[in-house]
Amino acid sequence: MNEALNLYFDNAATSWPKPEAVYDAPGRQMRQAAGNPGRSGHTRTLEADRLLYKARETLAALINAPDPGRIVFALNATDALNIAIKGLLETGDHVLFTAMEHNSVLRPLGRLRQDGLISTTMIPCAKTGQPDLDYLESAYRENTRLLIVNHASNVTGSIAPLDRLIASAHGRKVIVLVDAAQTAGAIPIDVQGLNIDMLAFTGHKGLLGPTGTGGLYVRKGLDLKPLREGGTGSQSESDIHPLSMPERLEAGTLNSAGLAGLLEGVNYIQARGIESIQQEEQELRSYLWERLVELPGISLYGPHGGEAAVSVVSFTVGGADCGEIGHVLESAYGILTRTGLHCAPHAHQTIGTLPEGTVRLSPGPFTRKVDVDHLINALQEITGLMSG
Amino acid sequence: MSSSCYITFPTTFFAIRAESLLKKTGLTFKMVPVPRSISSSCGTALQCPCEDLAEIKALLEENSLELESFYRLEEEGIKKPLVTELEL
Ligand SMILES: Cc1ncc(COP(=O)(O)O)c(C=O)c1O
Repeated sequence: MNEALNLYFDNAATSWPKPEAVYDAPGRQMRQAAGNPGRSGHTRTLEADRLLYKARETLAALINAPDPGRIVFALNATDALNIAIKGLLETGDHVLFTAMEHNSVLRPLGRLRQDGLISTTMIPCAKTGQPDLDYLESAYRENTRLLIVNHASNVTGSIAPLDRLIASAHGRKVIVLVDAAQTAGAIPIDVQGLNIDMLAFTGHKGLLGPTGTGGLYVRKGLDLKPLREGGTGSQSESDIHPLSMPERLEAGTLNSAGLAGLLEGVNYIQARGIESIQQEEQELRSYLWERLVELPGISLYGPHGGEAAVSVVSFTVGGADCGEIGHVLESAYGILTRTGLHCAPHAHQTIGTLPEGTVRLSPGPFTRKVDVDHLINALQEITGLMSG
Repeated sequence: MSSSCYITFPTTFFAIRAESLLKKTGLTFKMVPVPRSISSSCGTALQCPCEDLAEIKALLEENSLELESFYRLEEEGIKKPLVTELEL
């Protein structure tokens, strides 16, 4: 047995490795451009301001947002989703969400519901992860304000049909919030082409940046209430937080060191080409699926090998404990996966893996075919032992 | 005596966006700390030759930038500059 493969199949949790420039940029930012962005007007500050502008501009280009001022920085997707949900909703609103949503959507909604402020309806999904569009049509109410859609499931990799969901919601004047935690940097996103109202993303997954980075795109004309107020470096004489974007939704010193890293992550993606990353990951997922299917006693979830999906495959083996499989993969082979419930309880309910969850494999842009072969060899030995 | 003109901005985002747009044009300008003799919401201002002010303003407004105020400063050595707020 090879105990030191050091193979990382957990990119859906956070991507690793990162491009070299991503490791270097935060250090350089702190050493060379350590001004507090927006605060002082001296050259160091100006350098930090330029970096943040460049990061906004680059992210805006990646998702085809018309104006970098509509990109608001946040700590991660969870933070961005909270800014969107709590900044938009008002007492009495009704919210729709799909069964594939992550806890970062379910819990902010759960809190507002528990406080008696909003009501919600969950749109069920098929085992493939596809939301039931007929159910959606029947779920709108007079007071429906928002539809929240997980662009791609972190449990199955299935991709939501955004065009049809958005057309449906906009037909009812309902605003659409897309959770792009698993898709930003992994598949092309066109917020203008798709008419997306708000899109939340995280920096540390497909965008290949550091943790503590992320953001929210908010389309022009949609004015959210700020979740928090404070220093912005501008209009300092006023007790009232500035209304103009992006400062409107940002308070306090931004994570300029982390965002310097995020910028390099996106630069890397743009240079390699997001279409080619998507295609390579799709091919690798298909290959992984075809190899997994051969294993005795295995059940696979989500879109099949050839079907469109992001780079996530979930499986279980007969009556085996998922945690135990993950533990053996790590301790005996040096292969890192994620096991159990992946912060999306209704998604597990949908595919029938409550309460024990799944083993989740998520190759990334640096995973090679030979890594998949090593993984399959290990799983062959493990499943062989279990059935023998 | 020399004079130059200044544009101030409501937020830093617009100041840097202005710089980024103008860099592509070949127009002469500089981003500077806001001179002490004028007040502004944001610490960075745009300094340019007064004869270019109208053109720069038009270009920025075309790109839906929010601008705050416009000033002409006449400077003579270390004396306090003569400040005129411009109504454009
Ligand atoms: C679909 C989905 N939404 C939201 C999140 C939350 O991302 P973060 O932890 O970076 O806020 C994740 C990842 O954990 C996710 O997979």
